[in-house]
Amino acid sequence: MSTRRAAILFWQIAILIIVLVVWQWGFEWSKALLPKAYVPKILDPYFVAKPSLIWQSFLRLGCFSDPAGVVACIGATDNNLWTATLVTLKNTWWGFLLGALSGIAAGVVLGRSDFLARVFGPYIIALNSIPRIALVPLVILIFGLGDLSKIATAWLVVFFVVFFNTFEGTRAVDRDQIAAARLMGANELTVLRTVVVPSALAWVFASLLPAVSFALVGVIVGEFIGAERGLGKLIIEAEARANASEMMVAIFIMMFVGILLALAVQSLQSYLLRWQPQFEPTP
Amino acid sequence: MKTYSTGGSEFVAVDNVSFDVREGEFVALLGPSGCGKSTILNMVAGLLPRSGGRILIDADGVEVGKVNPRVGYVFQRDTLFPWRTVEQNIGYGLEIAGVSKPERTERVAEAIGKAGLEGFGRSFPRMLSGGMRQRVALMRTLILAPEILLMDEPFGALDTHTKLEMHKTLLEIWERERQTVLFVTHDLGEALTLASRIILLSARPGRLKDDFEVSFPRPRDPVSLRETAEFGRLYSHIWHSLGEEFRRTKAD
Repeated sequence: MSTRRAAILFWQIAILIIVLVVWQWGFEWSKALLPKAYVPKILDPYFVAKPSLIWQSFLRLGCFSDPAGVVACIGATDNNLWTATLVTLKNTWWGFLLGALSGIAAGVVLGRSDFLARVFGPYIIALNSIPRIALVPLVILIFGLGDLSKIATAWLVVFFVVFFNTFEGTRAVDRDQIAAARLMGANELTVLRTVVVPSALAWVFASLLPAVSFALVGVIVGEFIGAERGLGKLIIEAEARANASEMMVAIFIMMFVGILLALAVQSLQSYLLRWQPQFEPTP
Repeated sequence: MKTYSTGGSEFVAVDNVSFDVREGEFVALLGPSGCGKSTILNMVAGLLPRSGGRILIDADGVEVGKVNPRVGYVFQRDTLFPWRTVEQNIGYGLEIAGVSKPERTERVAEAIGKAGLEGFGRSFPRMLSGGMRQRVALMRTLILAPEILLMDEPFGALDTHTKLEMHKTLLEIWERERQTVLFVTHDLGEALTLASRIILLSARPGRLKDDFEVSFPRPRDPVSLRETAEFGRLYSHIWHSLGEEFRRTKAD
């Protein structure tokens, strides 16, 4: 078993090294070795930068290059890497949180009420059919260039995903468990709190992991279309200057932000759903 | 003292079944599958509306959807809350009744002892065997000290050995506390082991077919009781009556 794990680790590291090496030197090598027509454009650092350039851009944008003046450097620009990351992370988190909470609330209410589900059903399906990204310019028009429009965009993307899963989860609650709770004296509200919500939680979480990535997508698209700060804005600015390495820095940071948020959701999930076999804490 | 009169119509599941259960009596409702014994139980619990007739607990009529705190119910299916630990499952009723945490902890610990579940208080239901889960379900109901206990084939899904263990536990508890029990089963051996009276229902539509006193001395031991001649005689006597109904069910 451990040899298998070692083999997996070996290949993971090997792939990483190969990709980095080809990215860094592949273009020069192929220019030296191949006829001009066969040199792959995709490796051209003008388009995809290269690891060493990206690292330098990262140090410069992140104010790591001059240790003496970090504070001055951060203060110098409005949308430096630090503020941009923080702003994007913050907006993603709030959009996700509000979207998830409102999605859960709406899902539970409609899941428990057949009447409301029937009344709102067609509207929800219609609204859900709108590609959310198409609404972003409108959202920016309404909420302005600031953080609010990004949070609203993330909310739009997250709400429906969480809503549909919560709705299904609420409908799938075991009727006998509800009957058992009632027979032990639970009223409608207690049943909701102690049976319906915990039972639907597994369904809710199945949607939260994709939802957190969607929230990030929503915020970034919002920043592309109109923003003052944020990682998406950083990319747009770098694009205007045809600076591939700066764009790559922002992309990598987004990757880490995405991983960070996914890990946060996952650890919450494995705590709240620890009663389910797949989340059993390994001894 | 309870009076049940239940009449059905249209699709007749239960027809004209009428019987009384006295306080502190352990009554087994026995019959072939589909005879409506669970239906009767659910109507008594107020889980199902009835199409006619009356169900009285003391002088009070049973209303559908209105929970009677004097009645406890144990399901055939596993209805434990899988997201709650054994302790939290057993303490559920006390928790929603607003019993203080120290008192709850104490009573839950006592219940866990009674059911022989020591050491499993913090386990989640999925970590337990079927028999242990049903013990938790039983204690979850009993901790609320119901005067009337409705049980719908609670041990139906268990293997023979586990079933006997459960009979032992239930007998110990009942012989000490003497709740009024209405116990639905299609297992004659189980009915004879536990009950002080067996009400036999006919195949669908369920009608009252027979009514037997089971007067084996108590405390009973579920294993040695089965070896007595008296048990064998009553078993074959009721079996004969029950056998007719099973054959009728098959013929349908």
